[in-house]
Amino acid sequence: MTQGQGRRRPAGHSLRPFPRLPAWRVRLVAVLAVLGPGLVSGFADNDAGGITTYSLVGTQFGYKLLWVILASQVVLFFTQEVGARLGLATGKGLMGLIRERWGVRWAAFAALLMLTANLGSTVAEFAGIGSALGLFGVPPQVSAAVAAVVVTGFIALGSYSKVQYFFVGIGILVSGAYVISASIAGPDWPLAIHSLVVPQLSASPVYWLAVVGTVGTTITPWGQAFIQSYVADKGLRPDDLPANRLDVFAGALLTNLIAGFIVVACAATLFAEHVTISSAADAARALEPLAGPATTVLFAGGLLGASFLGLGVVPMTSAYTTCEAFGWETGVNWNWREAPAFYGLLAFFIGFAALFVMIPGLPLIQVMFLAQVLNALLLPFILIFVMLLARDREIMGALASGRILGAIGWISTAVLILLSLVLVATSVVGGP
Amino acid sequence: MLFLSQCIGRPVRDPSGEPIGKVADLIVAIGDRYPPVTGLVVVTDRRQIFLPWSSVAHMDATGAQLRVLTIDIGKFRQRQNEILLKGDLLDKQIVDIEGRKVIRVNDVSLDEIEGALHVVAVDVGAAGLMRRLGFEGPFRVLARNLRRGVPERYIDWEDVDPLDSTIASVRLRVPHSKLAQLHPADLASIVEQLTPRDRAGVLAALDDEAVADAMEEMEPETQVDVLEDLAPERAADILEEMSPDDAADLVADLDQDTRDEILSHMEQDEVEEVRELLGYPEESAGGIMTTEYIALEKGLTASQAIDRLRELEPDAETIYYVYVTDDDGRLVGVLSLRDLIVARPWAAIGDVMIHEPVAVGVLADQDEVAEVVAHYNLLAVPVVDDEGRLVGIVTVDDAIDTVIPTAWKKRLPRVFSR
Repeated sequence: MTQGQGRRRPAGHSLRPFPRLPAWRVRLVAVLAVLGPGLVSGFADNDAGGITTYSLVGTQFGYKLLWVILASQVVLFFTQEVGARLGLATGKGLMGLIRERWGVRWAAFAALLMLTANLGSTVAEFAGIGSALGLFGVPPQVSAAVAAVVVTGFIALGSYSKVQYFFVGIGILVSGAYVISASIAGPDWPLAIHSLVVPQLSASPVYWLAVVGTVGTTITPWGQAFIQSYVADKGLRPDDLPANRLDVFAGALLTNLIAGFIVVACAATLFAEHVTISSAADAARALEPLAGPATTVLFAGGLLGASFLGLGVVPMTSAYTTCEAFGWETGVNWNWREAPAFYGLLAFFIGFAALFVMIPGLPLIQVMFLAQVLNALLLPFILIFVMLLARDREIMGALASGRILGAIGWISTAVLILLSLVLVATSVVGGP
Repeated sequence: MLFLSQCIGRPVRDPSGEPIGKVADLIVAIGDRYPPVTGLVVVTDRRQIFLPWSSVAHMDATGAQLRVLTIDIGKFRQRQNEILLKGDLLDKQIVDIEGRKVIRVNDVSLDEIEGALHVVAVDVGAAGLMRRLGFEGPFRVLARNLRRGVPERYIDWEDVDPLDSTIASVRLRVPHSKLAQLHPADLASIVEQLTPRDRAGVLAALDDEAVADAMEEMEPETQVDVLEDLAPERAADILEEMSPDDAADLVADLDQDTRDEILSHMEQDEVEEVRELLGYPEESAGGIMTTEYIALEKGLTASQAIDRLRELEPDAETIYYVYVTDDDGRLVGVLSLRDLIVARPWAAIGDVMIHEPVAVGVLADQDEVAEVVAHYNLLAVPVVDDEGRLVGIVTVDDAIDTVIPTAWKKRLPRVFSR
């Protein structure tokens, strides 16, 4: 290496010891290291659709469906574990792997399912924003337009990954509010715990619709794509498996606790008063024991934060994983002209969802719930791909699913398929 | 022209025209400019068999015709340097050297050259995608009716670099010699598109200097990712090859443990240099300067000075100015490379230099540095301490980086924050 003379230490300038990172950044890095893919993915699960669905379930069925929450979180842990393992073993995204393993036709099929489900989720996020701002009298047409502009702005400025943690923060705050509110309301704890462990079945189509919605909001096609890409893009390796499993477990547990407390809070307040939720204002009342008159603001803030968190994740994951499969430039390093497919998909998602929510008189709460049902119906197809990939030794090497994990995966998938069939059957037979 | 997708699944007939099985895959021996097909994998009723190309009389989109009646039904075993076109290449990711992009193979185009079938290009266009999906016909009709060309895109095999991880069971050590010949900035943009695993494979095949040059062009986050993935010894070697200011910026972004580990493998004087640069505030002249510059005594003649330049072999960004210092290391003058060359060989540089050159203080704000560089149209500005001693230079590229934030568009969404 070439060197000039005069490389002398400047006088009068004290040399500071090494670290040049500002303190806040060091702290942020530490937090992010803990908040791994599993936690982020788990947290993003409690998006607008999540909060709404859990509220509906608690209000309509009281504690009765708590067992579904527990069961779907157990399944969530295993499906997220498989997704993370795929990412660890291959360093690739889900759609890319599907294409490499089964060719372009299956990849197109999977992408179509994934995009349909995710479009539904994106609509739900916009509906969440519409509901939250509707509490203050903002018409959904206005809030959807504003939200679309804000989201586009975040994406264009590339700052979503930064504000994401702000939304996670709001999420933690509001989750805490549900925990406290549930406790203050004085729920029937023995009954709640009993319902958590002992399933109570019913033949009513509404019941199964609620079951499917709950499952659909917890285990999602985008969640599978998200955790796998996240793990792969973080550059995690097979050695990271134990830490990663812990992270995924923590994420599933956290989601479970929050979901459970939302249901309990609603059961102890709204269900006890025989209220039905037809608008966000009704759902917000579950927080009344804690917040009193400030309920609306707290609930609206939480729903808004959750919706924006979801909007940062769902359309991006969709565009990212699709473009990866088809070999189109993904957003990371390209501008609009260079990556038309990526930005086109993003624009379509945001534009379509915003316009959809603008339909006058749209029942936003129902739309959010039905989007979760749509997710649940499409999920089994994606899971079949995931499970087949996970057991393939040629792709996974030592990380391939063994007998036990394989069996759990297939049983979960089978149960989900069965649920969808039950839903379809009960809707046909017992439908109005 | 024949496409791989048109061959797969087509019947294989014996000389009498009797079908014996179906084409499952094509084998090519890579290495040649346009690698030849060396054999077929054929599925018969029960099993997969291998047919050497010598026993194939003819192949087209209707199927393959055999030359011989008896075929060796040996089990197929892949040899070194052979890849399966469907198994290893189709639908996989490759690097498009020409377009500097990572893309997916939609189809492979083959051509008959002197009686043998050769791989000539990979199809990465929409037309290829539609052909695979079975919509090529309608798609072409649609394109014609919209009065648009069918977006066909092929990449010549010469401009393709397969990635290690796409080849199912990495038996092939891809040399990546094509990547090594790229401009560092292009190499950097390709590396940034690769998955961490592919990066490791590509970087392992390149020499330290090539990696160091490319590193200087990468985004800070990618630099950190790449460095953390390397063995500490290799990382240290690469840091040594980088210019000290870039190395210092990178080291500052590493976490404590990785940093200590890597620095412990670096040579002592390189470490000193990096530590020194790290001591300055990030947004000051000291924080963006490099300590690589040419400083000579004023007593030297022009021809001696040129000899010294030859000896030192300075990097491109530092050669344009020669600084002149006194015995205490104080900056007293500057010569441009042009001044030096047009000066009479025996003239003392002290006589031809520009006295009291423009300089900035080591703690000057980076915006001020940029202004000075722009105002005086400099390629580099010297940085001096309180006593007027030369401590480094800020080159024009580093100076303008602060005014034009590192390629704005490059900071577009990074979906999954690292």
